[in-house]
Amino acid sequence: MPILEASGIRKQFGGVVALDGAQFTLDAGEVHALIGSNGCGKSTLCRIIAGSVAADAGRLLIDGHPVSFAGPRQAANAGIGVFYQDLSLIPEMTVAENIYLGREPSGPAGLVDGVALRAAAGAALAQFSEVMGTGVSSDTRVADLSADQSQLVEVLKVLAADPRVVIFDEPTAALDRRQVDAVFGCIRALKARGRAVIFITHRMDEVFEIADRVTVMRNGATVLTSPTSKASRDALVAAMVGELVPVHARTLGHASGEAVAMEGRGLTTAKLDHVSFQLRRGEILGLGGLHGQGQSELLRVLFGALPIRSGTVVVDGRPLLPTGPRAVMRRSVAYISGDRARFGVMAIRPIFENLVISLLARERRWRVARKRLELTVAPFVARLKLKFSSLRSAVSELSGGNQQKVVIGRWLATRPSVLLLDDPTKGIDIQTKDDLYTTMDELCTQGVSIMLHSSDDEELLAVSDRVLVFNGGRVVAELSGDERTRFALYKAAYGAAGAPLPG
Amino acid sequence: MRARLLALLGTPLSIAALAIMVLLAVGELLSPGFASQRQIVTLLKVAALLGVVAAGQNLVILGGREGIDLSVGGTISFTAFLAGNIMQQQDALLAQAIVLVLASAFLIGLVSGLGITLLRIPPLVMTLGMLGVVQGGLVLLTRGVPSGRSAPMLTRLVNEPFVLGWPGILFIWALIGVALTLVLRRSTFGFNVYAIGTNEGAAALAGVPVRRTRALLFALSGLFAGVTGILLLGYTEYVFVGAGDQYMLPSIIAVVIGGTSLAGGAGGYVGTMAGAIVLVLLQSILTTLNIPPPGRQIVFGLTLLALMLLYGRQRRLRG
Amino acid sequence: MQPAFTTQRRPYLMAALVFLVLCAVNAILQPTFLRFGVAVSNVAAFLPMVLVAIGQTYVVLASDIDLSAGAIVSLVNVTVVSIIDGMGGSSGSVALGLTAGVTLGLTCGVLNGLCVALLRFQPIVTTFATGIVFAGLALWILPEAGKQVPPAVYQTYAGTLLGVPTVVLILLGAIAISALVARTPFYYALRATGGNMQGAYQTGVPVALIRIGGYTISGLFAALAGLALVGETASGDPLIGGALTLSSVTAVVLGGTALKGCTGGVAGSVLGAFILGLISNVIFFAQLPFEWQGLIQGVIILAALAGGVVMTRGKQA
Repeated sequence: MPILEASGIRKQFGGVVALDGAQFTLDAGEVHALIGSNGCGKSTLCRIIAGSVAADAGRLLIDGHPVSFAGPRQAANAGIGVFYQDLSLIPEMTVAENIYLGREPSGPAGLVDGVALRAAAGAALAQFSEVMGTGVSSDTRVADLSADQSQLVEVLKVLAADPRVVIFDEPTAALDRRQVDAVFGCIRALKARGRAVIFITHRMDEVFEIADRVTVMRNGATVLTSPTSKASRDALVAAMVGELVPVHARTLGHASGEAVAMEGRGLTTAKLDHVSFQLRRGEILGLGGLHGQGQSELLRVLFGALPIRSGTVVVDGRPLLPTGPRAVMRRSVAYISGDRARFGVMAIRPIFENLVISLLARERRWRVARKRLELTVAPFVARLKLKFSSLRSAVSELSGGNQQKVVIGRWLATRPSVLLLDDPTKGIDIQTKDDLYTTMDELCTQGVSIMLHSSDDEELLAVSDRVLVFNGGRVVAELSGDERTRFALYKAAYGAAGAPLPG
Repeated sequence: MRARLLALLGTPLSIAALAIMVLLAVGELLSPGFASQRQIVTLLKVAALLGVVAAGQNLVILGGREGIDLSVGGTISFTAFLAGNIMQQQDALLAQAIVLVLASAFLIGLVSGLGITLLRIPPLVMTLGMLGVVQGGLVLLTRGVPSGRSAPMLTRLVNEPFVLGWPGILFIWALIGVALTLVLRRSTFGFNVYAIGTNEGAAALAGVPVRRTRALLFALSGLFAGVTGILLLGYTEYVFVGAGDQYMLPSIIAVVIGGTSLAGGAGGYVGTMAGAIVLVLLQSILTTLNIPPPGRQIVFGLTLLALMLLYGRQRRLRG
Repeated sequence: MQPAFTTQRRPYLMAALVFLVLCAVNAILQPTFLRFGVAVSNVAAFLPMVLVAIGQTYVVLASDIDLSAGAIVSLVNVTVVSIIDGMGGSSGSVALGLTAGVTLGLTCGVLNGLCVALLRFQPIVTTFATGIVFAGLALWILPEAGKQVPPAVYQTYAGTLLGVPTVVLILLGAIAISALVARTPFYYALRATGGNMQGAYQTGVPVALIRIGGYTISGLFAALAGLALVGETASGDPLIGGALTLSSVTAVVLGGTALKGCTGGVAGSVLGAFILGLISNVIFFAQLPFEWQGLIQGVIILAALAGGVVMTRGKQA
């Protein structure tokens, strides 16, 4: 009998359906990879298994018994361990304290045995001694560790609880080859002891290297489950993207000349590795690949929302030091985030305020001349087909799509020449997306240049003139013309061989 | 239409307005003459003093990020004393006193604001430290002996009937109310305040000068405390030791009653004005009921807790 | 890789240094400073603040704050005195009074914890509010300072127990208890809650219970401070805890505990409380002009607070 079985799982977040009848089985002693394109539901499914999200419908069975977790604690008690992509480590505590959080070895009178704690952590660290780098001990503070070291510690933390089922959500993201090998060694040890592993990764090589079976998800449902020995890369990619429908470009490309609106050279930050690009005037440059590979980081760095470690930015031939959004917006650059709730709207404030806030910052006026401003934003509101009852109502009353239109309208009113769109259509209805594409086309004909990151590959490929594919903070491929297919995109995104790097 | 009316009735401002009327009625029942014009004027004068310092508190709370100003009490005492000593009961020195005192009050708040925005010291800690400094500065100036007197013009302005039997202080308060509401609703600065209080990350990305705005909020809180100090001087005519200390806590309560969210980004000054009146009325009724000071205090505390239940709850951890 | 002895690894080091410097300065200004009797009376004077600071530390480590601590001190103080006085001052009444005091402190702490952790109220204004209620109750129970406790109580407090001055014994006892608590699984969970509440929750730490626990401990130590004050003043005073709340927060920050949680500990807060007391002493014995003392003290404390915050800042904003 499988150690874990999920069937008919449904989950909705607001108006967005994340899981629609997903299913998954896991046998003891197996490593089962779970892959799929952005938004396919793999992370949500795992969060449900881990107890941190409640399913709307469906069944979850452990050893054949139905279970329902009230929270992560109950899931942990049931023997489920989770490696979180966003790491659950406590930065100010030591490696030892983190690894054994909630499970500290106790000495006499129930007090924590500090010596045993550090010794146990030391033994755990020893598994990774060759790949951890120097200077990491049980007493090192996690905040002092580098990203790859932190990840390894999180792996040790998960394993320390000796779980029966381990969910690894992108455990190798920041790791180099040797570190990945070390982690795989742990996973194989788990297998040998009859444990089971769910493995989420964006690297196809890893799927074939470590997994016994692989499940592909698409649009919230499971579409394929197969032993890895019987699967081919191409078949998996095809299952991820669905039918190979030829993508109609919305326009035949924009009339972009050789003028370069914005250029980045060797941009390096915490997550970016020497990224260079050229954005030509009037074009739409797409940033693709799996989520979190640096696309969003690049846009935010360009807008001054994140610090640059090295590299330069040039706008319209003049260098730009992106010290902050105010400095960058003065050069007619605008940034729109897809995470409306965190970085876009001031939800409880009226639509009017949300619409004019950047205009006020740009124009440096101190008075809000309501009539004049309403007139100024009116054409943009109309163009975007923003549906609202009154400018005085709170933005939170609008649908997701209209909320995003407010954010876009806010920036269009400042008449930018470069538009940085960071996954703007996430969780938005089809009609609104269409309205947005039309607006983007119009803007390009007027000479506005756009950089677009989207987790919807179809959209990205249809709308962009060229697509830069990101993997691990680097640009690994550039697709233009006929190369703009989902297949090519995912082949590059999953790190399959053959894609050349742009010059 | 009906839905809108119902929504309007449920707002904190409406509830406060209702509370005012209920309290007035109750007061009149308990002690006839409670709601006479003379009585109401007296109550409103006290409410005005609280209301002005609450304006500053309102601003720092609107700005979000656990904004709070614990130093207002000290600033009030400081400015009352300073003003009294510059004026020395002379009308001719009134203008000079006002300018100097307001400037120093603004500076006190600005120092807090800079510590909070540049050094990123939490507002609780920074204003707490400033309170100690201001109180120490006051001792330095007073040498422990309160002195100074209000200029007659100021005293008359605050206390005596100005128009229709209402004293000048009420008009000053109303003027502040109008001005502050206009600034909050019709100026870029006001928009920026609500933006940083609602969602600082989004505001920064939208081009709002976050640090500058927040520092200014604390400077304004100092300024309003300074105005309160001057008005207090006019009200009591003489300077008393620690005159301002009793205003800090009620200023926060008035803001919360008025519907300004502790999380920032929502609420306005009109509600706070109503909140100040509610507090003063409540205090007065409790006195009329001969409830001793401790009982009044307990009622205040429980009121605040009840308000937290209505307005002050935070997010869950589970998705 | 940080060496073991930076202020990040042991936040109380800076406070320890400042403490030693202040002791030296104090000794220079007040030649009798190092004499046994004087030292003990200093400890007696600082003890209530030290106790409240210790309690506050636990709450702050979980990234919360307890602004009702001083009020709990007052409430316990007057309750204990009223019970003892009301029952005629027998040794039974003393025992009952002490027990009641401790229980009261624990109850207040649990109430605070429930409001913040279960009802999810914002900590600052909530504990302000409960503080107002507790202070009001204190005034209600004993409107004016007064009542008496039997000589046995204050003589024991001022005297010695087992050959050691009582106040020193209490101080050492409090430190010893804290050292013990620091080795419990609860303490690790407490720091994790303050360091990364979401991460702690995902790891299965019972975050709400832990936060309630922090407030309960704060209530307990505030109660102990109230009891200490009974011993010291031999009577009750409903306003006695007034300044202790904000002083305790200052002491905690001075001692290197970050208001955002996780970093720091009781050792630092004890030192911080002593630092506050010594600053007061130094300013007095420096015989600075009387009128300057308050301002200088305020500026020093503000600078120290700023320093404490800047020093305990994490790796990035």
